Amino acid sequence: MNAALRLPAGLRLVIGVFVIGWVAVAAFPLLWTAVMSFRVPADALSANPLDVLLGPRTLETAGGVFGIGVTFEHYWAVWVTQHFYRNLLNSAVVTFGVVTISLSVGTLAGYALARTRSVLAFWLLVAALVFRALPHSVLVTGYVPAFLNSAAWLQPLWDWPLTGWLFQLFSARAPTLYGQPLAVIVVLVAINQPFTIWMLRSFFENIPAELDEAAQVDGCTPFGAFWRVIMPVMWPGVITAGLFSFLLAYNDYLVTALLLDSQSMTMVPAITQFLNRDSRASEQIEAIAAAVSITAPLFVLVMAFQKQIVAGLTQGAVKG
Amino acid sequence: MNGRTFGWFVAPSVVMMLVFIAFPLVFVFVQSFHATQSVFETVKVESCTPGFLGQVCKTEERTRPKLDAAGRPMTETSFIGLAAYRTVLQPDAVWAALAPGGGGWDAVMAVDFYRALRFTLTFTLVTLPAVIGLGLLIALAVNTMARSLRGPLIFVSLMPFIVTPVIGALSIRWLFMGDGILTAALRWMTGSHISMFAQGWTIEVLMLVYRVWHVAPFAFVVFYAALQTVSQDALEAALIDGASRFERLRYVVIPHLKPLIVFVALIHLMDAYRVFDEVVGFSSEAHRISLQFLTFNLLTPDQAGNRAVTRASASAMLTMVGVIVLLVPILLRTWREQRGRA
Amino acid sequence: MLKHLFVAATLAAGLAGPASAACSFQNTVPLKTLSAAFEAWKAVTAAMAECGNVQSELDQEFRRKQPAAFAANPALYQLGGVSNGTIVPLLSAGTIRPLDDLVAKYGQSLSPNQLIRVDGKIMAIAMSVNSQHLMYRQDIFAELGIPQPKTYDDVLAAAAKIKASGKVAYAMGATFKPGFDIGLDFVNLFLGFGGTLTKPDNTPAFNGEAGLKTLNAMKAISAYLDPEYLVSESTFVQKQFQQGKIAIAHLWATRAAAMDDAKESQVVGKIAMVASPAAMAGGKPASTLWWDGFAIAKNIPDSEAEAAFRVGVAALNENMVKANNGAAVWLIKGFTPARAAEGAIATAMAGAPPYPSTITMGIAMTAIGDNAADFLTGKKTAEQTLAAMEAAYLVKAREQGLVK
Repeated sequence: MNAALRLPAGLRLVIGVFVIGWVAVAAFPLLWTAVMSFRVPADALSANPLDVLLGPRTLETAGGVFGIGVTFEHYWAVWVTQHFYRNLLNSAVVTFGVVTISLSVGTLAGYALARTRSVLAFWLLVAALVFRALPHSVLVTGYVPAFLNSAAWLQPLWDWPLTGWLFQLFSARAPTLYGQPLAVIVVLVAINQPFTIWMLRSFFENIPAELDEAAQVDGCTPFGAFWRVIMPVMWPGVITAGLFSFLLAYNDYLVTALLLDSQSMTMVPAITQFLNRDSRASEQIEAIAAAVSITAPLFVLVMAFQKQIVAGLTQGAVKG
Repeated sequence: MNGRTFGWFVAPSVVMMLVFIAFPLVFVFVQSFHATQSVFETVKVESCTPGFLGQVCKTEERTRPKLDAAGRPMTETSFIGLAAYRTVLQPDAVWAALAPGGGGWDAVMAVDFYRALRFTLTFTLVTLPAVIGLGLLIALAVNTMARSLRGPLIFVSLMPFIVTPVIGALSIRWLFMGDGILTAALRWMTGSHISMFAQGWTIEVLMLVYRVWHVAPFAFVVFYAALQTVSQDALEAALIDGASRFERLRYVVIPHLKPLIVFVALIHLMDAYRVFDEVVGFSSEAHRISLQFLTFNLLTPDQAGNRAVTRASASAMLTMVGVIVLLVPILLRTWREQRGRA
Repeated sequence: MLKHLFVAATLAAGLAGPASAACSFQNTVPLKTLSAAFEAWKAVTAAMAECGNVQSELDQEFRRKQPAAFAANPALYQLGGVSNGTIVPLLSAGTIRPLDDLVAKYGQSLSPNQLIRVDGKIMAIAMSVNSQHLMYRQDIFAELGIPQPKTYDDVLAAAAKIKASGKVAYAMGATFKPGFDIGLDFVNLFLGFGGTLTKPDNTPAFNGEAGLKTLNAMKAISAYLDPEYLVSESTFVQKQFQQGKIAIAHLWATRAAAMDDAKESQVVGKIAMVASPAAMAGGKPASTLWWDGFAIAKNIPDSEAEAAFRVGVAALNENMVKANNGAAVWLIKGFTPARAAEGAIATAMAGAPPYPSTITMGIAMTAIGDNAADFLTGKKTAEQTLAAMEAAYLVKAREQGLVK
């Protein structure tokens, strides 16, 4: 690098202070919450920050390490007695479903949109943009009655001979969609589709069209060209788009809270149930422990994919 | 790519969006012009409730919905035109307020819709520059750091963005509510007790700060990625021309980032406009509500179990009009771009 | 699955008190229940789980879910926890079934007092009564020489003294969270001032003398509260008491036992539970009587309804009550009124009216709960606030077709 581009010491100091300040602001609320989850209620909810940090009452009642009180009772309560792992499994099912379906459907559409010049494609993108901006509560509350009563209004599909044989392979009667993870997956995929196709379209536009055109000249079908030529070079963009789908599915509250029942509940709405029943202080700390448990996998994920995210973004997954 | 192939490629995506987004939307649109009412009857009813020792029975006139033969309440649906929109927008109240001596701004804000609109717009337009500015500053700052530090810095910076929004809002709330740790710190610093949840403006500030904290990392990571592709040649050429540090930023780096600034602004406009999680997370409904919350609240069954579906549909449609107005400049830009390529 | 339930049930029972004896019959039909999440429901659902194949969902937001979940066909839950407030939507939608035949067949252990009759038919089984009543720090009252408050004027005078003494952070606590909580506080006082909420033609009658008095009383109370009172619901007030931050509150009887829970509370034995004060001198207590109980869904096969009813009745047994005596004012044999129940019983005995289970009441509560805060925050005058309540009520009532 050119010496003239190097920063003067004063500016470096200012930048250093700014970065340290930002890191503190970014990390503090989450770290503090994490610390609270290891303390008994009397310490965790104390107004004296030292009590929360050092946990003197936790040390007395539950023990600790190096003179700092630590208790795992809330994690035990959440994971063992309250069976939070079942919510984790539900979250895993929903998230996996949303990411895979969202990416397979979205990649095809994003690719096609990047390679066409039709007016239809323009209107599709505009519609997607408007859909992206829609308040979700409008859509979701529209689904609730339909999902609750789906056993009634879907039944004709099961009774009608032309389609009935197909549907009856899956179940004898039309199902109630409310509480079905599959239904929630499809809804989340649809809600996420506009963003996915916009993002992937921008990404595919940066892959030269000559590549697949050459493949088609060599006798590949459009899908063959996509499969053989584009697939191998698209991963950074797809991983970035996938991460956003993951965050949407894993973090969703509105859709899952309204459409899932207690058995199929994912972790995020489950935690608000913890909070809604907190008539005891210890239950509030259990909610905090659950919150920390939900956040931990996200950190692992970002740590693992951090390089790819920056690479995917650098290669133009987001060009507006 | 010909039309047919294009169709096959986009079909799954389009079908999903049609069924789960477009169809409900049309449904909501139609619903906003129709009202469904129950048929009521007034009857003498004896009802008994427990007291502590003995039962209390009372016979009184009660209005109750008529049930049909199958035991479902009888309902009548009728076309009501724009009545629901009028109920939401209350044009009469607005004219009265704006007339001389009518109470002015405060009286307009007494109508829920305008109160929600005011907050939603403030929220959107104030956080927008803050998110872009902060994101850009962090990106530029991190970009000057030694390579070995950048990985951990990016990781920490992304934390507020990836954390589940409901949990992020709750953790901020735990810090401030009642005698939360930061409320105590504020008291220690200012010497006076500030209850963050006691009045509207402090909650509003908290909500704005929370959103900036939550989204700035997204802007940061996008800008940071783009900074990696700034042309070194252009920078050096500018240097040879005698451009100062600020001028290089202004004339080389910012133009390079411009499309991404537009992208982040677009995403943020859409997300901020439908602000909802903050209202729930901070329980701000007594002081501040947003447009999406208004719709959600109307759709929530009240104490009698009724949802104000028609009014909610109208308010949803009005919310959508607002989004489209905000998006028009960007839509026009896309249109020109598409035309340019065709 | 069964094993988890069993573990959860025994643990829940263990939290609430000594484990109760097993269920009197073995249930084989898979059942689901939806109810509120306070202590009494934790105890009852744990007792239901002992009968086998019962999965219970306890959620303070059940109010929002229940109408839709019971309207589904088949209904998503066989048994629902209801109260005189929350049964209204189910009654008007016709989604719960009359229980007369089931009571005749399996309900021998129920007392007549438990049978909730609407239009002559038994629609729900009550398990406990509940009411808001006055709780105060008797140690502080004794120290300052304040007698038990009989009216709200006494309460405010006591609060002024306590505030001046500086013994607690805030003299009072109150459930002023917008929505149900503040709505009920308004209604309690409004009825206490002799008001009637609606006229015979279902139009509202909030905007009058009783309404003004009620709002002003609430404003006077708000001066003694934690300034964040608009986020304060029952749990918030309970914690304020437990942490010794407040000295007086009008709170639910179901929260009383928590005051004496040594694990949570720093004020064990210091809280007096007494009748609600009257809104005006010589009046009845400004509180309403509630019952909690269960109802059975209509849109389910009769065999499931039968099993659900039997599980519900079996759970309301003497052992469960004995093990959880303090959790509620039970209407079940075996209940011995303890300290925690004194306030609710005194309130009931002094003639507090039952909370009316009517549609107009539901709409009125919503209109009041959504608007009352505007007066306290100073956004509107009392008259404007009452007018806004009436307007909100009329919009809703017209939409429903209740008022033409």
